[in-house]
Amino acid sequence: MSANRLWRRGALFAVAALVTFANVAPLIWIALSAFKTRLEMFTLPPVWIPSRLFLGNFTRVLENNLPYLTNSILLTTLTTVGVLLLAIPAAFALAVFPMRGKKDLEMWILSTRMMPPIAAAVPLFLAARALSLFDTIPGLVIAYIGFNLSFAVWLSLSFFRQMPHEVLEAARVDGASWLQVLTRVAVPLNRGGIATVAVFTAIFSWNELLLPLFLTSGRAKTFTVVLTEFQGQTNTVWEQMAAGAAIQVLPIVILTFFVQRTIVAGITMGAVK
Amino acid sequence: MMPLQTTHNAPVGPPTGRLRGLLSAPATPFLAPAVIYLALLTLFPFIYNLVLSTTRLNLARPGQGGFVGIDNYVTLFGSDLFRIAILQTAQVAAGSITLELILGFLIARLFFAVRDVNGSSLLRTIYILPMMLTPVVSGLLWSYILNPTLGIANYLLESIGLSGFAWFSSGRTALITIIAVNSWQWGPFLMLLILAGLLSIPSEQYEAAAIDGARWYHVVRWIELPAIRDVLLIGLILRLIDNFRLFDIVYATTKGGPGTATEVVSMFAFRQVFQFFNIGYGAAASVVILVMGVLLTTFAVRFLRREETRVR
Repeated sequence: MSANRLWRRGALFAVAALVTFANVAPLIWIALSAFKTRLEMFTLPPVWIPSRLFLGNFTRVLENNLPYLTNSILLTTLTTVGVLLLAIPAAFALAVFPMRGKKDLEMWILSTRMMPPIAAAVPLFLAARALSLFDTIPGLVIAYIGFNLSFAVWLSLSFFRQMPHEVLEAARVDGASWLQVLTRVAVPLNRGGIATVAVFTAIFSWNELLLPLFLTSGRAKTFTVVLTEFQGQTNTVWEQMAAGAAIQVLPIVILTFFVQRTIVAGITMGAVK
Repeated sequence: MMPLQTTHNAPVGPPTGRLRGLLSAPATPFLAPAVIYLALLTLFPFIYNLVLSTTRLNLARPGQGGFVGIDNYVTLFGSDLFRIAILQTAQVAAGSITLELILGFLIARLFFAVRDVNGSSLLRTIYILPMMLTPVVSGLLWSYILNPTLGIANYLLESIGLSGFAWFSSGRTALITIIAVNSWQWGPFLMLLILAGLLSIPSEQYEAAAIDGARWYHVVRWIELPAIRDVLLIGLILRLIDNFRLFDIVYATTKGGPGTATEVVSMFAFRQVFQFFNIGYGAAASVVILVMGVLLTTFAVRFLRREETRVR
């Protein structure tokens, strides 16, 4: 490679680094702010780097909202498990068995994903109240699973379709039941794909705001709802909001690096790889 | 794009006979739970909404839930606020998607140019972080940065001699600010898809173009656009549907205000039900939103199916 091209490449990389920095600068700014005292947050000219590692905002937020953070963790875990238990067998069946009208069934499953959650808000709210599921974790889990299921079926399907049929066939010839083919062959073969489905389901559940906003009133509230409450009519506790936002975002940043290779497949429900 | 092939050659013979349809014996136990779950989740709310939308049910005024026929729908279609909400939803969708597309293409080209440099994939993962971010956090984050008096954005603008903006606080700039925040969050999505398309181009095509003396716009028009077309269309459909249900960012920043400046359909329906407790009216709005969503979806699904057969 000529020196000129090498230089050009380096310059472009520097531009890419700069653009990347600009794009995540807001995230860095709020992360830094989470470690500032209220005074440091609003002095002008601004304090860029907090003078010391002040953890008061984090302890305040956690002291007041630990149960809601626990709710979010619990909900994310239960939803992910529930979604996988329902979606994996369904995707397996769609990938393996010939069926009439399968294409229509797949498209119908996809179309349920497109339903705006707000359109189901009134019925879900009234049903939850009637069944004593309002403001409970089980009530939220049922709704969360419903809104993540079609995504998970489609994404799993896109991985299951790539299974070599010979392997499944061999298991059948050896006398395995279909359930055994699923649990002993298909699932281990698609471990990576299933992990991708799990991570995306977890991120979507963790990020959910609308459902807990109308399905909870106190006890079962999630951390996303708590975050919206720092901003009051008269007074906004910005420093706590920044700490809360940092707590909310940290697991996502970690998970994003974990799925970076399959991110395109994940966000397009397997339509693009 | 991956060929979405169906499995015509199943490993072991299926049951023959009349029940080969959806009831195909081995498939049923695997499929039924998910299908029944989804059916309940979609059919029950729709039917219940239809029933409720013909009543005057209001949780703040119990005992007055009489049947009113299509009154709610008449009111809804006569409502200025609902019309504004639909219009502004369309504006947010059009504005955001255009912005995301232009920036996405430019930045995808940039990452494409440095694809072989060490560390570029790490850079790319960092770049796309906003897309994975909790939407409510991106709303809160920007209302902190764009706070007219305390925020860092106006401070920076003023320090280089420009004047600050009111951002979310003024009816004139609020919707544009929503569009900007929305595009910041979701821009990486289209960027990533465009990049995936560009990466699928065999390098021989670029070499051939260079030998033929093609200019950059020839390369864009005849090599790059055709290569990203399919991926891009999927991305655009998903973004269209996302924008239609936009809620979290608006709820975290303006809640539809100031006045009606950032009212969108999700926010409208949410407020009717959970602020004014107008169950009947809110249900009617939900039905209309659902029907619009179904129309959008039908268009999208038709389109995806056509693409699929074309690719196959």
